[in-house]
Parts: sequence; C-alpha cells; structure tokens
Amino acid sequence: MKIVRIILQLLVLYGFLLIGEAIQALLQLPMPGSIIGFLLLFSALLLKIYPLEWIDAGARSVVDYGPLFSGKGVLLLPIVIISTLITMAAAGFASQYIANRSAAQKEES
Amino acid sequence: MAFTPAAIVFSVLTVATYVIANFVYLRFRKTPLNPVITATVALVAILILFDVPYETYMEGGDWVAAFLGPAVVALAVPLYKHRELLQKNLVPIAAGIVAGVIAGLVSGTLFTRWLGFTEELILTVLPKSLTTPVAMQVATTIGGIPSLAAVFVMVAGFTGILLGPYLLQLLNIDSSIGRGIGLGASAHGLGTAKAFEYGPEDASMSSVAMTLAAVLGALLSPLAAWLLL
Repeated sequence: MKIVRIILQLLVLYGFLLIGEAIQALLQLPMPGSIIGFLLLFSALLLKIYPLEWIDAGARSVVDYGPLFSGKGVLLLPIVIISTLITMAAAGFASQYIANRSAAQKEES
Repeated sequence: MAFTPAAIVFSVLTVATYVIANFVYLRFRKTPLNPVITATVALVAILILFDVPYETYMEGGDWVAAFLGPAVVALAVPLYKHRELLQKNLVPIAAGIVAGVIAGLVSGTLFTRWLGFTEELILTVLPKSLTTPVAMQVATTIGGIPSLAAVFVMVAGFTGILLGPYLLQLLNIDSSIGRGIGLGASAHGLGTAKAFEYGPEDASMSSVAMTLAAVLGALLSPLAAWLLL
C-alpha cells in the first residue's frame, strides 16, 4: 500500500506544479512555475489546508549529467569554485554575525 | 517522452546506480562517498567502458526532466518541518541567505563577464548555488543551458563539501547557524549532507538555507541577468 501512497502523493506534487505553471503563464511571471507551486504547497501546509501526513512520503528524484567542455570553457570551473566560496563566506558570516549580535543584545537587556 | 529501449535502460541504470551508491554512503557516512559523487563517477565509467554516446544516454533525460518540477514543489515539505527553527532565527537566517544569494549571483556574473564568456554561458553559470531542479529551471527561464547548469551545480556542491570546511574554519565561522547557512546557501543538497556531519542543528539550518536560497535565487536570477548583463 505504501507504493500507492507515494504515487498518489507524487500526483499531488504534479497538481501543485500544474497550478504553479498555469499561474506563471497567466500572469507572465519571470520565475519558474515549479517555484510558484512550491510556494503554494508551503502556504497550504502552513495554513493547515493540507496536512503534512498526506505528502510526507512523496518521492524526490534528481539526477545529473555532464557534457564536456574544452579550451576557454575550462576557466568556468575556477569561476564557479571561487564564486561558491564567496557565496559561502557571505552567507555564513552574515548569519553568524547577526545571530551573535542579537544574542549579545539580549544579554545586555 | 521517448519510449525507446535506450531511454528505459539508461534511466533505470541511473536510478539503480544512485540507489547502490546511496546504500554505500549510508553504511560508511564518509564525505568522499557522497552518492552524487560516487554514482556520477560510476556512471561516467560505465558510459566510457561501453562506449555509449552522450545523446544515447540522454534519451532517458526527458524522463528525468519530468521529475524536476515536482522535486521543486516537494521542497515545501522540509521547509515546513523546520518552520520553528526558521521562526526563531528569522533575522540571522534571512541576512545570511540574502548576503549569500546576492554574493553568488554578482560574483558569478562578473567573473564570467570579465573573461568574456557568451551571454548564454553567463546565464548558465548564474544559478549554480541553487539546488539542481531549481537551477535547471531557472537556467531555462533566463536563457541558459539547463544540462550544463546542472554540471555547475555539481561543481558548486563539490566545492562546498571539499573546500567548505577549510573556509569556514579560516573565517572563524564556528556556530551551527553560520556553518549551516553557509553550506546550504552555497552548496545546496551536497552542503546539507556535509552539514549533517557537524550535527543535526547544522543540517536543519543548511536544509532551510538550501530551500530559501532556491526561492530567492529563482526570484533574483532574472533581475541579476537584467542588471548585470
């Protein structure tokens, strides 16, 4: 019966996806319909319109593949690596700095 | 969707390889054994060994793409599960995500532009810090190449788990929130797998960061493309 539940829940995910894509097409929004579907599902969970138990087993499946690049394209690798490290430094530093500051403020008051 | 023998063989082979790789990872829990790395290496080895052209392998690609949309929608579930953590640390989390997403979009665009890459490639590098299904869809939306975008997502992920710990140590980022948000916002699911090794709170933070960075990244990518190109 578990497999039936997973298939049903996948269909629900598809439902949210289709609604998201319809909204995206209708309003001509510059973001993917799947993100709109995600926001709709998250709202439905938060507002308790849709219970967590009815979606929890839904499977996720992501697979990746890689074409090769040559010549100048190789430079894209160090770019991505450095940019990723900058991203991590910015995100990690900003969140820790703000968290420490608000913790210190709480101690003072 | 093509219903050819190659499509069936290679989509089954891909999923089966991942399942085995994941089993091995869960058994030993060592970073270099991350299933995305081992399954990718194993698949590449199989394709080279049997001399399978990329196009043949990718006949299963349409099938895979069909799962990308629902995978994005499904991100709502982990975010909902961590809603209390998010509420309690809303300001620092938001600050980290905004800083990370903007830093990633701006640095990626500027570096590729300085080195004179084509607009198509710049737009392909742009969503690299986002989780794979979101990055591929964002790449499609703004005019990049989705399959190549997935490769950069993997490079970002490997960077995060292999170099991330050294960078975090170097910058004295030593709290669960700093480590988790840093790993999740820059290296998505792979970063989150790494965060698990620091502890459950790091992992929750990273999972939240991955999801929020995906949403904000999807929102800001078209804007960044428009502003910086």
